[in-house]
Amino acid sequence: MSSALSHLDKLENQSIFIIREAYSQFRDVAMLWSIGKDSTCLLWLVRKAFFDRIPFPCLHIDTGYKFKEIYEFRDKYAKEWNLDLLVARNEEAIAAGMGPDKSKFNCCNELKTVALKQAIAKHGFKALYLGIRRDEHGIRAKERVFSPRDEDFEWDYKNQPPELWDQYKTKAAEEEHIRVHPLLGWREIDIWEYVKRENIPTTSLYFAKNGIRFRSIGCETCCGPVASEADTIDKIVEELKTTNISERSGQAQDKESDYMMQKLRSLGYM
Amino acid sequence: MTDKPKTVIIGTDGVPFEMIEHFAQTGVMPNTARLIADGTFAKMQSSIPEVSSVAWSSMITGANPAEHGIFGFIELHPNSYRMRFPNYNDVKAPTFWDKRDGKSVIINVPSTYPVRPMNGVLISGFVSIDINKSVYPPDLVPTLQSFDYRLDVDARKAHQSMDLFLEDVEATLQGRIKAYRYLWDYCDWNTFMLVFTGTDRLLHFLWSAYEDKNHAHHAAFVDHFRKIDEVVGEIAGKLTDDDLLIMHSDHGFERLDHEVFVNYLLAENGFLQFKQDTDPALENICPDTKAFALDPARIYLNLKGKYPAGNVNPAGAETILDEIEDLFTEFQIDGRKVIRDVYRKADIYTGPYIESAPDLILVANAGFNLKGKIGADALYSKGIFTGKHTQDTAFLLIKGPHNPEKLPNPPKVSDIPAIFM
Repeated sequence: MSSALSHLDKLENQSIFIIREAYSQFRDVAMLWSIGKDSTCLLWLVRKAFFDRIPFPCLHIDTGYKFKEIYEFRDKYAKEWNLDLLVARNEEAIAAGMGPDKSKFNCCNELKTVALKQAIAKHGFKALYLGIRRDEHGIRAKERVFSPRDEDFEWDYKNQPPELWDQYKTKAAEEEHIRVHPLLGWREIDIWEYVKRENIPTTSLYFAKNGIRFRSIGCETCCGPVASEADTIDKIVEELKTTNISERSGQAQDKESDYMMQKLRSLGYM
Repeated sequence: MTDKPKTVIIGTDGVPFEMIEHFAQTGVMPNTARLIADGTFAKMQSSIPEVSSVAWSSMITGANPAEHGIFGFIELHPNSYRMRFPNYNDVKAPTFWDKRDGKSVIINVPSTYPVRPMNGVLISGFVSIDINKSVYPPDLVPTLQSFDYRLDVDARKAHQSMDLFLEDVEATLQGRIKAYRYLWDYCDWNTFMLVFTGTDRLLHFLWSAYEDKNHAHHAAFVDHFRKIDEVVGEIAGKLTDDDLLIMHSDHGFERLDHEVFVNYLLAENGFLQFKQDTDPALENICPDTKAFALDPARIYLNLKGKYPAGNVNPAGAETILDEIEDLFTEFQIDGRKVIRDVYRKADIYTGPYIESAPDLILVANAGFNLKGKIGADALYSKGIFTGKHTQDTAFLLIKGPHNPEKLPNPPKVSDIPAIFM
């Protein structure tokens, strides 16, 4: 037990260091809050880092298709924690009827990527905090704690600073913005153990009802539940210790294209 | 089962006319030989380009790519150079089972993933990933799993060991046969379609084994076709003279001499350029780029407004297309012309999605396999593959009530639904 605590303490200390370091470098920053467990943990750490008075906004990219539990949770805690909440929506695309029924790719692109681009342009953010973790998905294993993106949002993963021995490159070129990933080294199970230790609120979607729960949440239209009886944090932690199903298996638009690429490549189509 | 006339379609991915003819004459496929003797047997044109996603989308919709919207296995995200992989959701024309009255059972047709509800049974084919999104109605999944049903041959095995690959081809075939036998009596259908795709996989890796009787895998190759013929015989035996049986391929195959990298030639001639000190990838092309190709040989102008680094103005487009056409028309390897035809999109496509079509489409002469790979290190090479697709040697075999006079000469893969609709 004591070793588990020290493991979480180490993660917490390192994340708070990264959060403060990024703020002192960039000032014009915001954190992305998807209301999911990871970014809510991040928010918890940000509150700790600045003693409950966060000196920058929390940005929610709202596609209009999120679960109703997500909106309720957002509004409740934005008030309770006195957040400077910014909600970014690509109103033009929403008005034009963009939705997952058109094309999932176009929908994500218009309602998430473009909405975020619009928000960055409008507020002039130089850096953004995100709650991504290396163990979520293969491609994220290549991420850095300070990760530059160019003006088109392109991530040149083969041309990144190395970050050996926790030496971070925190300077950005003019046309870039930096993504800051304080939770990069956390695992899904660390998140849940930390949620339990700190008693961090999470939406009810994560807890099993009628044999299913969500391991990863987002738009109601494109998230699938996993079969599970885990209706408490303890049971979730137990489940994570034994499962071999990936966290994002419920997300429609994710690793399928990686598999498709592999299959096409094996037949010479790439 | 009702006594209404039925339509049964047996698809064999990639099998060329000459191979069916050869196996029919040499006793490997006696049941198919009987159908040829009693029916109509013709060489058929595939789609352009002659890849499975386009060819099967054309077959099941009876439409051309500008009507169904599938131009290849790969497309780009809007206003970006990032690749995406179109699937069944991107097929914009209705399929014959969407339009036809009565129930259909459709097994393993490429480009039908992820499945959606329909009147009957649909098990999607290449490129299917998740079994739970590949089967309608979903309660059939456990039954299929009990047959060790495999969505596809794992072609990566061929890169490791041909023996492992052949085991997988065989296991996949057996699972498919069990599924067809179970589904034959599962519901009161009037259209049944069963597609074999192991044929295409064998032809890619083991065309050499077909040609060479002394090849270590020659017997396994021939045996696969013998087993398919047994299924053809079994199915033909269940039908009456009033029922229609169609057997066909989506494209043909032939020996591969050279893989030819279209983007390499474009780069060598200054049409395609990458940013300095970056890997050759579409994301890294620089704004001087005039054109690039997506697999297999679909050439797109780097149009201003359409792409992030687009710089070709519509006014200058025609000149550049002429230059590229000249480049490819004259292009030779070992003294042989590589390109059979260079098409503008309007030459071969008509329909509401023509704007998404490539600006130029190349079809190769015999032996040359055109590839859209970015970052090839030579203009042409030869890798693990020994066979390549052909556009003009697919086959069509029809037995049962039909009018051969009404069939276009030569028939195209998109003409098939009209035979029974």
